[in-house]
Amino acid sequence: MRRTTLSLLIFAACLCSCSGKGGHRILVWHSMRAVEADLLRKELAEFAQRHPGWEFEELYYQNETARTNYIISALGGSGPELFWGANDNIGPFVEMGVIQPLDGLVSQAFLDSFLTAPFAANTRLDGRLWQIADRVGNHLCLVYNKKLIAAPPQTMSELIRIGQKLTVDKNGDGKPEQYALVWNYTEPFFAVPFIGGYGGWIIDEERRTPTLNTDAVVKACQLIYDLGHRYHIIPQECDYEIANALFKDGYAAMIINGSWSWGTYLENGIDMGIARIPMIDETGLWPAPMVSPLGYSLNVNTTGAERDMALQLLHHLTSTAVQLKFTRLSVSLPSRRDGFASPEVADNPLVSASMAQMRVGRLMSPITEMRWIWDAMRPSYQAIFTGRTKPQAAARDMQTLAEKLIRENRE
Amino acid sequence: MSGPEQQKSRLAYLFTMPAFFLMGLMIVYPFVYNVVISFSNMNLSHFRDWHLVGGRNYLQVFTDAYFWYYLRKTILWTAINVFFHVSIGVSLALILNKDIKGKTIFRTLLILPWAVPQYITALTWRGMFNAEYGSVNLLLGKLFGVSVPWLTSEWGAFTACLITNIWLGFPFMMIIALGGLQSIPAELYEAAEIDGSSWYHKLRHITLPLLKPVMVPAITLGVIWTFNNFNVVWLVSNGGEPSDRTHILVSWIYKSAFTYFRIGHAAAFSMIIFALLLLFSWNFIRRTKASETVY
Repeated sequence: MRRTTLSLLIFAACLCSCSGKGGHRILVWHSMRAVEADLLRKELAEFAQRHPGWEFEELYYQNETARTNYIISALGGSGPELFWGANDNIGPFVEMGVIQPLDGLVSQAFLDSFLTAPFAANTRLDGRLWQIADRVGNHLCLVYNKKLIAAPPQTMSELIRIGQKLTVDKNGDGKPEQYALVWNYTEPFFAVPFIGGYGGWIIDEERRTPTLNTDAVVKACQLIYDLGHRYHIIPQECDYEIANALFKDGYAAMIINGSWSWGTYLENGIDMGIARIPMIDETGLWPAPMVSPLGYSLNVNTTGAERDMALQLLHHLTSTAVQLKFTRLSVSLPSRRDGFASPEVADNPLVSASMAQMRVGRLMSPITEMRWIWDAMRPSYQAIFTGRTKPQAAARDMQTLAEKLIRENRE
Repeated sequence: MSGPEQQKSRLAYLFTMPAFFLMGLMIVYPFVYNVVISFSNMNLSHFRDWHLVGGRNYLQVFTDAYFWYYLRKTILWTAINVFFHVSIGVSLALILNKDIKGKTIFRTLLILPWAVPQYITALTWRGMFNAEYGSVNLLLGKLFGVSVPWLTSEWGAFTACLITNIWLGFPFMMIIALGGLQSIPAELYEAAEIDGSSWYHKLRHITLPLLKPVMVPAITLGVIWTFNNFNVVWLVSNGGEPSDRTHILVSWIYKSAFTYFRIGHAAAFSMIIFALLLLFSWNFIRRTKASETVY
């Protein structure tokens, strides 16, 4: 009997030790690159000094992983108090009920201090506020290495002409050691500017239907294919990491990449310039990258004192002072009016160039249908580069699959 | 049962209770929940308001061309991997079981692929398979003047995944086989030698039959692990690229569930995989009489 009692006591002690709860902690999940994550960490540490008894931590996840893990953990009743990311997460998050509306939790005066033009910084969906931005943009631009190219090409034909000179096979083995242009061209997100450049878009936002089976999509896909297979100015195989490595190591004169990456290039000491992706000669239109605000959403499970503190932190991290620190570090565009209009932004040539590209971009829709459109684009779009399909057939298949995914998920 | 014995059993049950509780929580509950949602319409739009839809998901899986394509690919994937894991593993074990110089060093080196975390190995191989800058093509180019589009062609990517997983998987079979070989009594070989048996005869009539009880459970495990090996396929092919052609069933389920959020569909898919593996394992163990020999 004594043994039984002892065993029960040990078991109970184990259970008690497992269920112990720590102190107050606010956790922020984000997808910021290392250089920006360092600054975020510093800001959290500084904020923590003003709030004794509280801990503030950040955790990095890659975009897709962050979204999936957040959904799973928030549905399970936990997850970080604040989630930082692009506004295309908002549709799925709202639909799954994993974030809470911010209406009424922040003052109108605070909200009025954010940009409404050229794009609304804060994200609303179905009439409610779900995300407060700490920056706008997140758009693709042409980034060039000034050591390899003095001035960026203005049109696509110029890019091809200059590109053939900048693609160099130094040892004559048939494989260029230096490419004119690199980017993660098998990822549909990176094809969107070109679709815009041919006057198309991937979604009809009002009807919430895909618009993929269009001439614009076909021509954009054909152009990207030709840059590699006809003009040979981009590598035959190039994912995000390869593109980034080639550009950072000086083996590529230009890269198409988003504002999230620029801080890393600056940190690597690359003498870089930013420009618009060259104009499409045929249409006279500038390629139109997707533009999206990036910011913080509040976990649906965050309540009470944690929620109050998370909101205070949100105010701090979206303050003009903090936003400008990020601008200085990584050329990000502030989401607050005074920050956006500040001399630090206006007088910075990199920021101005980024803004010039942003002005011809289009706002990324936060609706859930976007998710299925991306998923539907990827297989057929990639099949073009493996030679399994032609752009015309790919556009048709993307449309069919996108419609199927939307229909099945809405059933 | 006498009083003290009964009390002893009670204590034993008490000690196993946490294990039963955890097993119920970690295995039984998720399994039952998975069965239930496999009959539901749970997806991104109906995550909280899902309802039962009968066998629709199962019907969708069986009528989906992807299922049959990935099933064929998974069987091929499993068969090739396990064949090479076992043949390389047993061959190396046979070599290491002999008195050779530097045996410990070789053994350590050969276990290395197994000791390195899978995702690091997978991502390293992915880099090595890059068509222009990867070491595999650089080597092939120097030796044979060829360049293979490993990651951008359907079968190239599949082969890249296979090579990576063969590299990762043979040490396990080698260790198991080595353990089995060391337990074979030396007298049997001595007797065979006196009878004038050749190396091949000793291998066929002594080594392989006595390795069987050890290798059959290892092969069964190998089949299950390889059939469900998500990491290598996902990481080397970057999530099934190109064009979702480089998937096996489990990686496709993951994509259905956590990229497309077709949870009900993915749950039905996973139940079918469970049934397939259960049938295979039960049949394989019964036919090879592995459990009888072991116990």
